[in-house]
Amino acid sequence: MADQTSSSGAIAKPKSTATDNSRWAQTVDHFKREWQLYVMLAPTIIWFIVFLYKPMYGLQIAFKDYSIFRGVAASPWVGFEHFETLFSNDQFIRAVMNTIKISALNLLFGFPAPIILALMFNEILHATYKKTAQTIVYLPHFISSVIISGIVITAFSPTAGIVNTVIGWFGFDPVYFLTQPEWFRPIFVGTGIWQEAGFGSIVFLAAIAGVNPSLYESAVVDGANRWQMMWKITIPSILPTILIMLIIRIGNIMEVSWELVILLYQPATYETADVVNTWVYRQGLQSGQYDLAAAAGLFNAVVAFVLVMTANSLSRRFSRTSLW
Amino acid sequence: MAGVELEGIVKAYGALQVVHGIDLNVAEKEFVVLVGPSGCGKSTTLRMIAGLEEITDGTLTIDGRMMNRVAPKDRDVAMVFQNYALYPHLNVADNMAFGLRIRKMPKDQIKSTIADVAEILGLTEYLERRPADLSGGQRQRVAMGRAIVRHPKVFLFDEPLSNLDAKLRTQMRAEIKRLHNRLGVTSVYVTHDQVEAMTLADRIVVMNDGAIEQVGTPMELFNNPANTFVAGFLGSPPMNQMRGTLTDTGAVIGDAEIALPGQINGHAGRDVIVGIRPEHVTLLPSEQSSALPIALDLVEPLGSEALLHARHGDTAMVFKAETHGSIDHLSGVDTVHVPAGLVKLFDAETGRALSLGA
Amino acid sequence: MRKLSLTAAILATTAVAGPSLADGHLQIVDKPLELMIQMNHRAYPVYEEDWPVEQKARELTNIHLKDVTVGANMRTDSENTGRTEALNLMLASGNVPDIVGSSRIRDFVNQFGPEGAFIPLNDLIDEHAPNIKAYYDQRPDIAAAVKAADGQMYYIPYLPDGKYGRAFWIRTDWLKNLGLEVPQTVDEFETVLRAFKTQDPNGNGEADEVPLFFRQWPELIRMVTLWDGRAHGSDTYHDFLVDDGKISHGYIGEGYREGIKNLARWYAEGLIDAEVFTRGSSARDFLFSENLGGATHDWFASTGGYNRLSSDIEGFELKAMAPPASISGKRVEEHRRILVKPDGWAIGYTNEHPVETIKYFDFWFTEEGRRLANFGVEGMHYDLVDGKPIFKQEFLDAGPVNRSLYQNGAQLQGRGYFQDYNYEIQWTNEFALEGIALYDQGDYLIPDFLGVAFDADEQKIYDKHWGSVRDYMLERQQAWILGSGDVEAEWDDYLAQLNDLGLQEVLTVMQSAYERQYN
Repeated sequence: MADQTSSSGAIAKPKSTATDNSRWAQTVDHFKREWQLYVMLAPTIIWFIVFLYKPMYGLQIAFKDYSIFRGVAASPWVGFEHFETLFSNDQFIRAVMNTIKISALNLLFGFPAPIILALMFNEILHATYKKTAQTIVYLPHFISSVIISGIVITAFSPTAGIVNTVIGWFGFDPVYFLTQPEWFRPIFVGTGIWQEAGFGSIVFLAAIAGVNPSLYESAVVDGANRWQMMWKITIPSILPTILIMLIIRIGNIMEVSWELVILLYQPATYETADVVNTWVYRQGLQSGQYDLAAAAGLFNAVVAFVLVMTANSLSRRFSRTSLW
Repeated sequence: MAGVELEGIVKAYGALQVVHGIDLNVAEKEFVVLVGPSGCGKSTTLRMIAGLEEITDGTLTIDGRMMNRVAPKDRDVAMVFQNYALYPHLNVADNMAFGLRIRKMPKDQIKSTIADVAEILGLTEYLERRPADLSGGQRQRVAMGRAIVRHPKVFLFDEPLSNLDAKLRTQMRAEIKRLHNRLGVTSVYVTHDQVEAMTLADRIVVMNDGAIEQVGTPMELFNNPANTFVAGFLGSPPMNQMRGTLTDTGAVIGDAEIALPGQINGHAGRDVIVGIRPEHVTLLPSEQSSALPIALDLVEPLGSEALLHARHGDTAMVFKAETHGSIDHLSGVDTVHVPAGLVKLFDAETGRALSLGA
Repeated sequence: MRKLSLTAAILATTAVAGPSLADGHLQIVDKPLELMIQMNHRAYPVYEEDWPVEQKARELTNIHLKDVTVGANMRTDSENTGRTEALNLMLASGNVPDIVGSSRIRDFVNQFGPEGAFIPLNDLIDEHAPNIKAYYDQRPDIAAAVKAADGQMYYIPYLPDGKYGRAFWIRTDWLKNLGLEVPQTVDEFETVLRAFKTQDPNGNGEADEVPLFFRQWPELIRMVTLWDGRAHGSDTYHDFLVDDGKISHGYIGEGYREGIKNLARWYAEGLIDAEVFTRGSSARDFLFSENLGGATHDWFASTGGYNRLSSDIEGFELKAMAPPASISGKRVEEHRRILVKPDGWAIGYTNEHPVETIKYFDFWFTEEGRRLANFGVEGMHYDLVDGKPIFKQEFLDAGPVNRSLYQNGAQLQGRGYFQDYNYEIQWTNEFALEGIALYDQGDYLIPDFLGVAFDADEQKIYDKHWGSVRDYMLERQQAWILGSGDVEAEWDDYLAQLNDLGLQEVLTVMQSAYERQYN
């Protein structure tokens, strides 16, 4: 204490008299004492500024006739022209609908999949078997989209693919799945589940691991069987995690993993496969129309924002779980 | 005859045996407390009774039925856990109803049962709350309520009070005792707290290192500890234990001799441990007491009494003395007086109580 | 010593090119001048200063190029996204180097040149680049093609040489196995393909042959030329075409409709690879080496090379065949090497030495410069034999010649230069040469559409509609071929829908840009 008082006094001294001492010296003093906290805080703040807030400045190009050469500031304003372009384009509307449909299917089938997987892992008692099984289902997550698309194309090939081979055993004609619009969504969503369900189960496994074991023991003594324990203990216990993940997922509803779409779709399947990001990629980025792409991106963000806000407040109201 | 019988109960994890053959009879309606330091196997024993741990060897009988291979739910026992094991997503009523619903009890019956038990536990106004909105004591009561509603043959308590603060613990202790008096259900209670054991138990089972050290009523154990472990475990503060040697007339501790007339019976020269309960010494000499010179280290006032931390030679010891409203008179104490009849003697090597008179 | 002998060599070979015969006549500046360059291309993401060709050019001109490439990006896709991104990144970073070289640079400089990012070259070429000027004087069509909407040139292009790109290829040993002749008409072609499908030319007892396949599915669409249709107006897929001075598109022609109808029939019958849309770039490798593929439409040199499989597959023989005559008797090979690529290099607006830079660009159009750009360094990569550059044998043996040339800084398509087809002949396989000779006998090639440069308003209309129009064209195209739609029944609706999507507007701006550029 005595030490700090004297040092802050020493700093304030050359500046002025005792009255001025107070605020400035206190601030200096504060930083001297707590600088480690600020150092720890700095990376996050810098990250937010550099990667989130500064780019927001560039959002204005959605309302400008943007030229990379002229720069953001010097490009002329065009108001909502880009948005008008977007919404007068049937293919964009179709892409929005496709995005929502694919995301909805993903939510319906892809969201429960890792939860179910985690619950199933939780029932495996044999440790080695459990670890092996987990590792195997985690693996696809680490494979790049390009390889995944290769696997999918091969698996669904009409001549040599495993799927058509199996279909052949039952006496049906081969189907050229990847050119059939009605098959794109099932294949895409299924691929996503295959690739991500295992890895996605980790967070739920962690939540399950956090459930107090005596809840299960108590239930055992009360006479619950494993099925009842899963329904009445495990699932309700991890429900907050499930809801948080669901809210996050809803926030990403406009973000279909479009790299994989690009690798798997064909003009023949645009009808069901073309999502906002692939449309933007074809229309905007390939011809350098960053302003149009930014407008589409802003639209995505607004939709996602509204959805997240809605999901969050619904969740808060009905289950007392929320992101914020 | 809803008693619990343990015959040669052994628990081993692979080659590691943690419970080494326990024999114990818990009579119907009896409240038995298993007490011992952590790791002594008391919880494991309880969990074997509950069916949460497999019994490696021996026989478990509840209500005359061999239970070794019976599923927990069919043993008709209810267990109260240290951390309450309340379902955070269910309110108090649903928590209490959980076991009943699983057993498919009719709804109106569940309702009335819960209402009755809530009434007993004073939880009626909290039935709609979730555990997170309850105090520690209330949660504990819900946990007990959940056990009570089942009307089991046996209650099992696994350190149910250890998460509560001291004051609540005293309160809940009394409540458990009252409940037991009222319901009269056979209970096995595990704790590491000897005060809980003393206050609650009809009989105490002191365990150490996977085996039973002594079984008896609280006062039996307090008055006649079978060995130095029990002596050192029960009592607050526990019994002072000093190395000594017997003479023809008493026991020599350091340079002092405690006269033990008529107790030696020709065992002079034997090395013993002399046990003196802190509360048994007096500051003034009385009949048949011996003076024990001490060097006083510290006086800790507790209110009506004070603890005197002192040494005799190298041996540290603690005594209790009345304060009569002041500790001033205690600061000059240099001698305590040990009444011969209350001194316990233990074999120096085995630690077993010596009853040389017999 | 070295300098002297070099000069002697130059003296011996500059008769055509050079006014100046003086010592060091190619030297542009007295004191060495450093210019910064961004260069990005599929095969070489940056400009390497220790390329022997750069070293040599430095020695001859006294101009040193220093690499400052940003956004080096090897991502390869059909639309060249990686390189375009690199250029955009460079521009966004605010620094335009002295020289910018890239593939797909034309649209980029034609957009940003008029905005001021690149120096217009017309006057500089007139005054300081006699060799480039001489070339353009001979080829006014190409001079027109590289101009931006404001009439200025903003880049010096890579000018490919040689006429032929792709050809029809067929397993002639399969023909022999089945006792068939090389098909000369579309009907004969169909008969042959059907025979491939049904008569087991590979002799393994299974009908596993894939009669007609393609590495790039748009090549399938080119087959509409067999029914007098048109597919791609240039070597860029789905490009426009010029029909009698009018801009049009292959995908709205009657012949296209007829062609798609028949291709759908072929596809349904199994004459075309069932997986044609997803087989991808490994199709040729896989189907030939598995002895499954019968015919394709692919590049001369690389496809001819598959005859090396004859060591594994008994009798394997793959030969080019002349385009089968269409239903009206025309033999058309739609694909050719384009006359001018949208690749090349440009001068950044901050360049303080535009005159020296254009002289440096011009250097690559001198005979020595052109040879350096095409063949590499004399004595190191080639020797002059009878005044003709002949690659050293050890250079030819050192792996794929194209790659070796890239790795030495020659044949850089991010550099503006005039290719010399002779560089290829020496290492082109006999099957390819035989095919080229075959194609030389007939006159199968048709003119390419060389592209237009839009002004800002035209660009806006084009950007607004073309993407939708193209997407719809391709969707229907694939649906028709796959049989999930009927081209005959849908044709009128299809045209109406294209017009709704703005095809006419696109054609109008194309036409106005075309007329401005070429008339």
